[in-house]
Amino acid sequence: MASFTVVKKEDLDAELEKGPKCVLRGQTSDLGCLTRQDGSVSLSQGDTTSIAVVYGPAEVRINKEKIDRATVEVIYRPKIGLPRPNHRKQERIMRNTLEAAIAANLHPRSSISVVIQETEDLGSNLSCSINSACLALLDAAVSMNFMVASVTVAIKENSDMILDPTKRDETEAKSVLTYVFDSVNYQILTIVSCGKFSRSEHKKGLTLAREAAKSVFQFYRESMSKKLLMSE
Amino acid sequence: MAAPIGNVVIPGDSFSLMQLKTPDEHKKILLGPGLKEEDTEIKVLRPGILRYRKPGVYWVDCHHKRYVPSKGDSVVGIVNQKVGDMFRVDIGSSEQASLSYLSFEGATKRNRPDVKVGDIVYAKLLVANKDMEPEIVCIDSYGRSSGMGVVRNGGFLFHTSLNLARKLLNPQCVLLKSLGNRFQFEISVGVNGRVWVKAGNDIQTIALVNTVIASEFKDNDQIKEMCKRISKAVSRMEVD
Amino acid sequence: MRETPLSNCEREFILKNISQQRRLDGRNAYDYRDLRIAFGVSLGCCHVELGKTRVLAQVSCEVGEPKQTRPHDGVLYVNVELSPMACPSFEQGRQSEEGIELSRLMERCLKESRCLDMESLCIVSGEKAWHVRVDIHVLNHEGNILDCASIAAISALAHFRRPDVSVNGEEITIHTLEERNPVPLSLHHMPLLVSFTFFSQGKYMLVDPSSKEEKVMEGKMVVGMNKHRELCTLQVTGQMLLLKDQVLRCSSIALTKVTKITELIHQALDNDKQARSKGEKHGFAVLVSGDKVTANRLPKIEVNVEKFEDSDEMDEGQSCSDDADAQNGIEELEMQTEAAPRESAVEILTKGVGVIGEGGASTWLDIPQENTKQQAAKKRRYKSVAMEEGIGS
Repeated sequence: MASFTVVKKEDLDAELEKGPKCVLRGQTSDLGCLTRQDGSVSLSQGDTTSIAVVYGPAEVRINKEKIDRATVEVIYRPKIGLPRPNHRKQERIMRNTLEAAIAANLHPRSSISVVIQETEDLGSNLSCSINSACLALLDAAVSMNFMVASVTVAIKENSDMILDPTKRDETEAKSVLTYVFDSVNYQILTIVSCGKFSRSEHKKGLTLAREAAKSVFQFYRESMSKKLLMSE
Repeated sequence: MAAPIGNVVIPGDSFSLMQLKTPDEHKKILLGPGLKEEDTEIKVLRPGILRYRKPGVYWVDCHHKRYVPSKGDSVVGIVNQKVGDMFRVDIGSSEQASLSYLSFEGATKRNRPDVKVGDIVYAKLLVANKDMEPEIVCIDSYGRSSGMGVVRNGGFLFHTSLNLARKLLNPQCVLLKSLGNRFQFEISVGVNGRVWVKAGNDIQTIALVNTVIASEFKDNDQIKEMCKRISKAVSRMEVD
Repeated sequence: MRETPLSNCEREFILKNISQQRRLDGRNAYDYRDLRIAFGVSLGCCHVELGKTRVLAQVSCEVGEPKQTRPHDGVLYVNVELSPMACPSFEQGRQSEEGIELSRLMERCLKESRCLDMESLCIVSGEKAWHVRVDIHVLNHEGNILDCASIAAISALAHFRRPDVSVNGEEITIHTLEERNPVPLSLHHMPLLVSFTFFSQGKYMLVDPSSKEEKVMEGKMVVGMNKHRELCTLQVTGQMLLLKDQVLRCSSIALTKVTKITELIHQALDNDKQARSKGEKHGFAVLVSGDKVTANRLPKIEVNVEKFEDSDEMDEGQSCSDDADAQNGIEELEMQTEAAPRESAVEILTKGVGVIGEGGASTWLDIPQENTKQQAAKKRRYKSVAMEEGIGS
């Protein structure tokens, strides 16, 4: 099953002229956009948008209970069709990443569940999902050791780098790399790669993504400050 | 550089012990919710505003919707189940709290309190521990109710964020003061974000509920203005 | 996950007020909440807000075999998902009774009303036909999911465009969107569902119930109708008896609601079409306004890539720059710890985390008097900061 997006030819030409892109697309966040959850956010990166919600620390099912820490669950919901194995993989990547960030030992025998709904996938979807999950956790004020930010880099055939690629960039690229960094030392937490790339390309992508991640963290801080200070 | 008291801190921020300098007479510091000591650093775990109170108490004031029990908190709960000698009460935490039928004023084995499933109780947390089931009581240590117990006689219960509930509980709360100037009402606020309110008539109660919910992201001047508008609207409706 | 139970006092209060023709949100008995319809960047993606209830619908298609019983028709699938996203009591992967009822009603509304021209979805009779799928995701449950979902589904179907197909003898070509303009699905009419809830043995009736009203209702009637006054579905659930008059009254109310909503859908579709043709920004990202306290906006930023050139020159054999970085970091950290005075004047009273629920009574709330002046000064400062930010965004 597929849905379609119309891209105007003029837009494409204009894009091609620009050459290699090291631009992070504009981002918007709407914290607490939903009402029934403990934390929720709708995040957009360019045209890619996703909604993430958090429940927790909440009741946990007995078979998932851990006596020394909270159970972290991640549910990813694709927009079209039922969840498939690659979505399960994505859930697992996100769960492992978020488990590192969440201070789960503070709430034993409870669950912290994150549900992410893809609302528009137009490139760098995994990054958008991870970032929205992190913002939702911040909105719910779940205890975390650090925050996480994810940035996707696409590498073209001529080893040009495209930061925060669109869907089209992703299909044209020879490889797509998604990096996740922590907010303390900007060290790598997770790398998800697809396609071939050389070591130097990887390094190049890493430096680029790390720089971009810093502005994502700044965006988190601004979003939270705005909400917290205005409701003083 | 001093610790950013009154500023927004987010997880991952940290400052050294030296930054948390307290006046000379107090050399001890106490870390409250949202802060953690790690080696020589103080780490922030939750996003919020860093607060300080004499002597040497630091904590992060954050926006929650989910309640985490804490000993001595006054909460509003909903009785969910009767199990033997206990009631299971939903207080919004990850586990339901237990409430013994003996922990009401004047209750004995013979004289059981009249509590039904679905009733609202205003109670205090006796046991609150991350590893144990929370326990609530409706009496103080002298066996008196001191305002706690089953909340009856109508009124309406609604849910707010914990931050708003704490704001309402502040003795200097502008919202309750300016509402109090215009309406007569009873209110019980639990720190778990449940608020029970009852005014002279249902129109007023509905107006109060909506005013409290709407005040979440408003500053004091806006709140005063809103209360003025609401009271006008209510008096118009009551005439009709 | 367990849902917060409804207390007796809420139940009594709501019922009492309904009997006096009052609702908690100040609406009249027959009023809908505010309705907002928005379309995404991709075709056939619709997002509907009915008060705080939110539903997302996405239409997709692929070429497949038609059903053997209906070789000249395409296939329409309707899938309603009630995930824990919307409400904690919904479970992932397991359809609740409510979920089944919902998807059944949506199917009846969309499939059995024959609003979609199925024959036009056929490419080669008995061999190839379009399979159209409508996925409905409930994002937030604040009551009346059904009406919201039906609006989202039909708007998404009207917004969707499928690729054009040409058949030349045995050869079937599916044209890409660049080659040929995509074609819309042919919709005969727009059936919409309107739910009515009943209280006190059908004595009182409410349109567009909120989640709390749904919890105390006695029964529900769903009327599916289009603006041509054609009834598509009718379902009554719950323990109550209805009078004939009431059913007729409901259907006439449904008609006015449906006419209004259909108008709104067409308006939203027109707006989206205009925005697209003018090349303006459209989609969900544009909807978030920066003026809200809870919303924030970050413009496009160019990432500084000065460092990037250095790493470019790096030899493959060289030790990984990260390791080096990390080591530097550790050294720095060590230096810092050494620099920090071991014997601090400050002493930690409680070790570890500020654990909740251990130790004495909570005293976080009563801020002492001497602090208030200081706080007032601070508050003024935040406000100025906040105002600056407000201007900045």
